[in-house]
Amino acid sequence: MNNVDNKIILRGRKVIGGVARGEALVSKKPLMGWGNVDSKNGYTVERGHPLYEVPYKGKVLVFTEPRGSGGFVGYGRSRFFGTHPAAFLYRKGNNLTVFAAMVMNVPTMTDFDRDPTEVIETGDYVIVNADEGIVEVIKNPRNQQ
Amino acid sequence: MFLTDEEKRILDGEKGEIAQRCMQFLVAYGEAAGAERLVDLDGTVDMHPGPSWVPEYDVKPQEVAELARKGERFKVPTFSDKATAPSFVMDGWEHCGVLPSSDPEFHRKCLENLKPYMDMGMVPTFSCDHYLVSTYWPSVGQHCAWVESSAIPWVNAILGARSNFDGCFQTAYLGKVPAYDMHITENRAATVLVSCEAELKTDMDYDLFGWVVGEMLGLKVPAFVGIGRPTTTQLVKMNSALNTAGQVRMYHIPGLTPEAPTLEAAFQGKKPAETVSITRQDLRRVYEMMNYGSSDDVDFVYLGCPHYNIEEIRKVADLIEGKKCKVRLWVMTNHPTYKIADLAGYREKIEEAGGLLLSGTCPGLLMGKVMPPSDYPDVVAMDATKQDYYITGHCHPHKVQVRYGTTEDCVNAAITGKWQGEWR
Repeated sequence: MNNVDNKIILRGRKVIGGVARGEALVSKKPLMGWGNVDSKNGYTVERGHPLYEVPYKGKVLVFTEPRGSGGFVGYGRSRFFGTHPAAFLYRKGNNLTVFAAMVMNVPTMTDFDRDPTEVIETGDYVIVNADEGIVEVIKNPRNQQ
Repeated sequence: MFLTDEEKRILDGEKGEIAQRCMQFLVAYGEAAGAERLVDLDGTVDMHPGPSWVPEYDVKPQEVAELARKGERFKVPTFSDKATAPSFVMDGWEHCGVLPSSDPEFHRKCLENLKPYMDMGMVPTFSCDHYLVSTYWPSVGQHCAWVESSAIPWVNAILGARSNFDGCFQTAYLGKVPAYDMHITENRAATVLVSCEAELKTDMDYDLFGWVVGEMLGLKVPAFVGIGRPTTTQLVKMNSALNTAGQVRMYHIPGLTPEAPTLEAAFQGKKPAETVSITRQDLRRVYEMMNYGSSDDVDFVYLGCPHYNIEEIRKVADLIEGKKCKVRLWVMTNHPTYKIADLAGYREKIEEAGGLLLSGTCPGLLMGKVMPPSDYPDVVAMDATKQDYYITGHCHPHKVQVRYGTTEDCVNAAITGKWQGEWR
């Protein structure tokens, strides 16, 4: 899957345009909003979640799908506290992710040619160009052992 | 996104600045969602009165009041979900003991803020299950804009109308929504055949089954076989769990739901992409997960997620008649059902036992602050997976334990102060 210079390219659909880069924070478990997202501190508080209390501020937040109530928009509301991610990437979404992305107003993409949560691992460096529909992944050497 | 000439004129401001702002919202939303066009609503809207999804496009209550004064009305019948004004309790607020909910001036102010929406035509059902009391339903195939976990599968699967989770002022005012996802026929086809091998008997069984399937399927559309003939209570519970543990906003029960006269029709003639079976062991796993905590010393019992229907209230009134609660018991419903429960004497029976019948909110909306003066309960008993799974988040960082079981288990906990429920 990796080419010689450890870069992987993913293609997907723009939800919110723009360019951003940062370290990936990946969840293979869906994210849930309303009471289970703490917008102020910028992390999930869903009990038993692998990202419980792991801050997503400044990260490229990569996840599978949304679940739960319209309060998923709480992820977007992190914007009001400056705790929002640098970019928002998800395998499959619906109105929950769209509203969260509109409020968060960071480069957001979905509907990729491959499952982003399979290709991208926490700690990889990710460059998101939502305007062009391209995500460039530079693997963290730690993730290649 | 394609816009008609009329839609372009609204976007250009021909119908005023507020209509323009609402159209800007619909266009930004539609483009982000990948919709090709807007569709005119011919069904109904279910909205949370108050701030909208994206603050940038908000229409303030004063602006709504001004529109109402000019005689402007919502384009289709519009119903109120729970008011999102923090702490607003519609009925029973005087006794709830939680501030500011129980402050008369606060209550008056909340109602005053809700009036402009009602003046524009919003029906004050104030409920997460407005569909049980709206007295008016969309027909099969009609386009709607609803909100709420349990309501979305109700409108799509049970009624056969078409809705995403996007009811709000803008969609009600313009009578339009982006045409994508559940508005498109092929997206409504089942792709997964779910065969239930667990015999679903109690209301709790349907709640657990919904959670198991929701967690397993996420955004996929299932067709169910082997789930019997669920009651209204059981459908509401199952829908709530399906759309909380996952995003199952549409499903089919062949021979029962309107878009699936047959199993083949549920799949729109295609073959299932997946087949899964659900066993009693799957239900048990979720039951254990919902019993989050080990203390049996319950200090708060909450019933009414989604808002209890009259049959559920009657059941609680019967169970509790002549008994006394040792701990705080809240039974939550919607405004119309509260009135009927009052007339029927159920409210009196619950209150004589020391419980409270309330309407229009839930512990989640109150951010877990239900136990003055300490705010948060320590050990809660509930009969709903949805509220159970959220309450620990709402009370965070306060650690709350949750005991989950049947309605009877919960009423028993209210009377004894002890959790005695177990898997049966």
